[in-house]
Amino acid sequence: MPDLRVGKMVPLLEISRAWLVDPVGEREGPGEVVVRDGILEAVTWLQGAEADGIGPDGVLVLPGFLDIHVHLREPGNEDAETVASGLAAAAHGGFTTVCAMPNTTPAADEPGVFARVAGAAATSGSPVELLLHGAITVGRGGERLAALGELADAGAVGFSDDGSPVKSAIILRNALLYAGMLGLPIVEHAEDVTLTAGAEANEGLVATILGLKGWPAAAEISAVERAIAILDSVRADAPGARLHLTHLSTAGALDAVRRAKAAGLPVTCDVTPHHLGFTDEWVAGARRWAWEALDGAGTARDPWADGALVARPYATACRVNPPLRGAVDAAACLASLIDGTADAVVTDHAPHTAVDKETEFGLAAHGISGVELAFGVLLAAVAAGRLPLARAVAALTVGPAAVLGARPGRRGAARGLVEGEPADLVVVDAGDRWRVTADALASRGKNTPLLGRELPGRVLLTVAQGRLAYRDVAGDASGS
Amino acid sequence: MNASRIPTPPDVAWQQKHLLDVDVLSLAEIQLVMRTTDAMKEVLARPISKVPALRGTNVTILFYEASTRTRVSFEVAAKNLSADVVNIAASSSSVTKGESLVDTIRTVEALGADMIVMRHGTSGAPYLAAEVFSGSILNGGDGWHAHPSQALLDLYTMRAHLGDVRGKKVVILGDVLHSRVARSNVWSLTAAGADLWICGPTTILRGFDTWAGRWASGGAPGHVGFTVTSDVGAALRDADVVMALRLQRERMDAGLLPSLREYAARFGLTRERLAVAKPAALVMHPGPMNEGVEIAPDVAVLDRSVITEQVTNGVAVRMALLYLLAGGHPEAVTNA
Ligand SMILES: [Zn+2]
Repeated sequence: MPDLRVGKMVPLLEISRAWLVDPVGEREGPGEVVVRDGILEAVTWLQGAEADGIGPDGVLVLPGFLDIHVHLREPGNEDAETVASGLAAAAHGGFTTVCAMPNTTPAADEPGVFARVAGAAATSGSPVELLLHGAITVGRGGERLAALGELADAGAVGFSDDGSPVKSAIILRNALLYAGMLGLPIVEHAEDVTLTAGAEANEGLVATILGLKGWPAAAEISAVERAIAILDSVRADAPGARLHLTHLSTAGALDAVRRAKAAGLPVTCDVTPHHLGFTDEWVAGARRWAWEALDGAGTARDPWADGALVARPYATACRVNPPLRGAVDAAACLASLIDGTADAVVTDHAPHTAVDKETEFGLAAHGISGVELAFGVLLAAVAAGRLPLARAVAALTVGPAAVLGARPGRRGAARGLVEGEPADLVVVDAGDRWRVTADALASRGKNTPLLGRELPGRVLLTVAQGRLAYRDVAGDASGS
Repeated sequence: MNASRIPTPPDVAWQQKHLLDVDVLSLAEIQLVMRTTDAMKEVLARPISKVPALRGTNVTILFYEASTRTRVSFEVAAKNLSADVVNIAASSSSVTKGESLVDTIRTVEALGADMIVMRHGTSGAPYLAAEVFSGSILNGGDGWHAHPSQALLDLYTMRAHLGDVRGKKVVILGDVLHSRVARSNVWSLTAAGADLWICGPTTILRGFDTWAGRWASGGAPGHVGFTVTSDVGAALRDADVVMALRLQRERMDAGLLPSLREYAARFGLTRERLAVAKPAALVMHPGPMNEGVEIAPDVAVLDRSVITEQVTNGVAVRMALLYLLAGGHPEAVTNA
């Protein structure tokens, strides 16, 4: 299908001798798939001699990924990202559904903004499905509830003031109650801002040595524990209340969620590739993976002592909220994916212009452009033996779908390799590597500390709802 | 100008294009700075204390924070080397107009700067400048992070009185959390092998305990460990050097300390406290002092107070740094 354009229905695609992962059927192994007229016509699992030589380190066929936390910047900051460029970036990253955060300008606190964003998605021609979170409060100001019901009617899949926490405990309580009535989750950015005023980098050795104001783990842990306590307090009145804690970055916060889940509370959470793959040493100039920054005893290495500092310090591509943490916290993020404490991986894709990043570290905008790099970071963890491939795929498919409470029959809800459904899948060559360059990124945001570095896992092809979403022009998407 | 040749220090290669912090300097490079400073002191002792070493070199002094002492020290140093000096006080003009640091550096370069001495309120800012500027950046202090010329003049001053500082007990007393002087001194003094003690109230010591803990069994390669404590008596006991740091009023506003009065009572460097140090212990302060807060007026003027000597040595150290960064190989500097 060399001439097929993005957005067009895939007439015929045959992928033979690949490694399939189906998180719905909870199965992975050698197999073949056939897509005809946009429908996933056949999924064949290979046995015996036919399966010889096919492994998870070659071509992978996976369900299309779902990211429930991206920032597309439209309306208001189209220099950083548009809906169209964001969806193109998502497809390059293997995502067939993304859910945009409402912290645009204006904020998506009423259905009019939703209509603009949905219109931009429709005119983009991308088959990547765009879901929307509505704001919790008017203008994300934290004081009055936004038009939650109207936003729900307009298709909101959740509510969030992301970018900021809901500062007021009573507003958070009322939001949980009201959203619970609507059957939608509150997606909370957990941060006690009294502990993080002016904070620049994770509180610890790196911040101390670099003279950056410390960003304590306690700011996240205490906000998570507060939110959980409030959730517990509303359950009797609102059985439908659900709390989703996004981009958790500390062992303490994940422990709090683990305990809350064990107590039966309706709480879910996610972690990002950068918090499990990168560490605060990167701010000092290290670029080794988080799992390489731990010694045999499980304590963080000292990059000043062991010569790990290879890039210049204070790279603003490393400035993100919450901040990159130490290697022990990063390991806790990874562990939370394996034990199921974290339900999903989200990219928190946060594109920024060069102007907003080419500045002093403490003045730079927060955020990492990550939707194109997420699976590569997870594959690096898989290759290092730190993460089972099936867990990585589940955290990008069925995990986030469950957070949204996606019911069967809803578009994109299956997140498996299901015969007879519109094809929604990504083909990745796990054995190939590619260099992350500004030109290679479809996103307008080039703000990632991986720029100039190699990542494993080249996405060859992304098919969303039976239509072509992305095709690697350099590689060869095996098939016809 | 018959006395304008700079005496030749022993031949150690200077590897740095910029001087952003002392953390990148080997002990040999630090010693090269010390010896070059000796040479500059000799120049300063002459009737005409000016050499043509940087003639035709444009040194732009770009300060985003008001600081008369450091700015003037660099300016005098550059002029003693016959550089063309341009002074830019950026704090009031360009920042408020929204001109970015990157734009400013490019402008300064277009105006002919060969070297920039930069002071900035944000930690790490000189690293960004160094990425943009084709010449050399000399960090004149960035945020809480580093003040390399201060640390080197402190070390020079200590060595002038103590000889080698290896094993000598050096105490830095005060607000280390917000101090670029303290951080750069940690690097230079642990490279030089001093027995470094960091002392202050826990709220403004935070993080240094972690750092010291990580270095407890030896520091980064080429560095020894150091000690952190809030116990002033233990810190000062048998000290060879006590350096008090400036305490700023903002620390009370931020809720870090109850009051200046309480700070002075518990952590101020007084004669009584100093009595447990060695009898000839040097008293130092990077200035400007809050007399009666972090240091008692009668301590600042003791015979063994070398605070004004720090200022004098500052000019010589900065001459040495400008000279080395300009690529000056000592033998190449000859009379015009
Ligand atoms: Zn957030």
